[in-house]
Amino acid sequence: MSANGTPPPASLAFTRASRWYGPVIALNDVTVSVPSGVTGLLGPNGAGKSTFLKLAAGQLRPSQGKVQLLGRPAWGSPEIFHRVGLCPETDAFWESLTGLQFVTTLLRFTGYDEAECRHRAENALHQVELLDAKDRKIGGYSKGMRQRVKLAQSIAHEPEVLLLDEPVSGMDPVNRRRVIDLVRKLGREGKTIVVSSHILYEVEAMTKRVLLVHNGRILAEGDVREIRDLLDEHPHTVALRAREPRRLASAIVGWPNVLSVTFGGEGEWVTVETARPDEFYGALHAAALESGVVEMYSPDENLESVFKYLVAR
Amino acid sequence: MRDTSRPLPFATGARAVFDLSLEGMVWSRRTLLMGLLIGLPALVAVGYRVVLATQPRAELLPPSDLYAVIVAVYWVRNVLPLAALFFATALVADEVEGKTLTYLVTRPLTRPSIFAGKFVAYVATTISLALPAVVLTFFILMSARGVSFVSPAVPDLLRDLGVTALALVAYGALFALLGVLLKRPVIPGLLFLYGWELLANLPGYLPRVTLTAWLRSLIHHRPAEEGLAGLFQQVLPAGQSLAVLVGVSAVFLAAAAWIFSTREYVLDQ
Repeated sequence: MSANGTPPPASLAFTRASRWYGPVIALNDVTVSVPSGVTGLLGPNGAGKSTFLKLAAGQLRPSQGKVQLLGRPAWGSPEIFHRVGLCPETDAFWESLTGLQFVTTLLRFTGYDEAECRHRAENALHQVELLDAKDRKIGGYSKGMRQRVKLAQSIAHEPEVLLLDEPVSGMDPVNRRRVIDLVRKLGREGKTIVVSSHILYEVEAMTKRVLLVHNGRILAEGDVREIRDLLDEHPHTVALRAREPRRLASAIVGWPNVLSVTFGGEGEWVTVETARPDEFYGALHAAALESGVVEMYSPDENLESVFKYLVAR
Repeated sequence: MRDTSRPLPFATGARAVFDLSLEGMVWSRRTLLMGLLIGLPALVAVGYRVVLATQPRAELLPPSDLYAVIVAVYWVRNVLPLAALFFATALVADEVEGKTLTYLVTRPLTRPSIFAGKFVAYVATTISLALPAVVLTFFILMSARGVSFVSPAVPDLLRDLGVTALALVAYGALFALLGVLLKRPVIPGLLFLYGWELLANLPGYLPRVTLTAWLRSLIHHRPAEEGLAGLFQQVLPAGQSLAVLVGVSAVFLAAAAWIFSTREYVLDQ
């Protein structure tokens, strides 16, 4: 609350914002205010999450309505990016740069001098546990390292608003945990953070507050537990790529929370169906370390079915 | 102290983008290929000197004429515009295709400063390929009949260096505009170079609508051979040529920067 008792304006506000590409409506008449703390943007692929974040990050102009970021129109206000960090979904880099050069270069674009850029870049790389690899070229980074260096550039200038598009996608369980902890910590510090994901359990680990997006609309806004109750009726699928997939499969096949285990992707991938994802993720850590899990993701079929259920209600 | 209420000052932003872009351009395959193409006349000049030394009675084009043809026909008419086409159309397209444009447009940089930084990096890269090639070719050829032939021609060299730089800027500005305007600018660029620009060889007013005619008019020296001299017809006033080239370059660059500022390139990703 401000001194006169009125709540401070939200850092990010959509007012009847729509965005369409030709005849396709990507976001439809969205009105929402995002408060400080972590907000999960949850929805299946193609729901409009990325369009939401691109509008919020000023990369797209709303076709109708307004998108305000830090009190200014998000489109065409470059000055706000002193105070905004974006971790885009795309796996794109200037590959010939080292991790340190990448973060330092982007800090230069934010106006810091050379010494400050280096100091901040190293600090950000330390936060995502990439300091040891700072002098390696990004072209040689693993998928998880690439995700983390992307996150490092988004936090290096200590922005007030953080827009994170699928930030833990493709990370191994250990680093996924680290990044989730980092996002929670930044949220506790009072930053406004929007994290998109199509995996409820990922979002749930970071925040209780979610925006449910489906077919370009905000379907629901509020506590993640209500959604979770619905999801528990649907088996959750997790795909894991491991250096020793058979060892991983044999370790987890007997767990009471695992419904099925199948191999795919020339035997590198193990796909697991679980009825109790929380228990599964909790137990996975040790097995993942032993069998060398290098990548993990969750297809969104189960979430899609919940959305269909919600829409039908 | 950073002023976070404004975007970075134009020059500061452009400089930061310049440094990044230069690094990317210098070590690219495109630069290697263009360096070879631009530097080829230096090898030809060495070959010329070898022939001259081994076969003194061979009937060869006078070295000053060969140099003039290389400058006007090879560089100014063909290779420099091609270098401009392949570099300048890619200024923004490379970032869009590589999906790295997101990092530039979500920083407190104005879009014109991003564009300016990239364009200056292009000019610096291509000029640093072209000018040494011109100087080298000049000295190898002009000293073929003795070093005493070199110094009288030095003013021509200086002028050629200026025309080379101006050609890269003028064609670069045009192709940068095509690059931000069109999704596939290379074919229209080639059509411009080998269709539209042929108007420069026609009589009357038409050559004035080409860049070639204005650039060619700034090249001072002329080949003595009659057949070659025909290449240098339609000489327009030098002062006017300079003003037109600088003017159209500025217009192309301003238009390109404005279009870049208003387009949502993220859609192309």
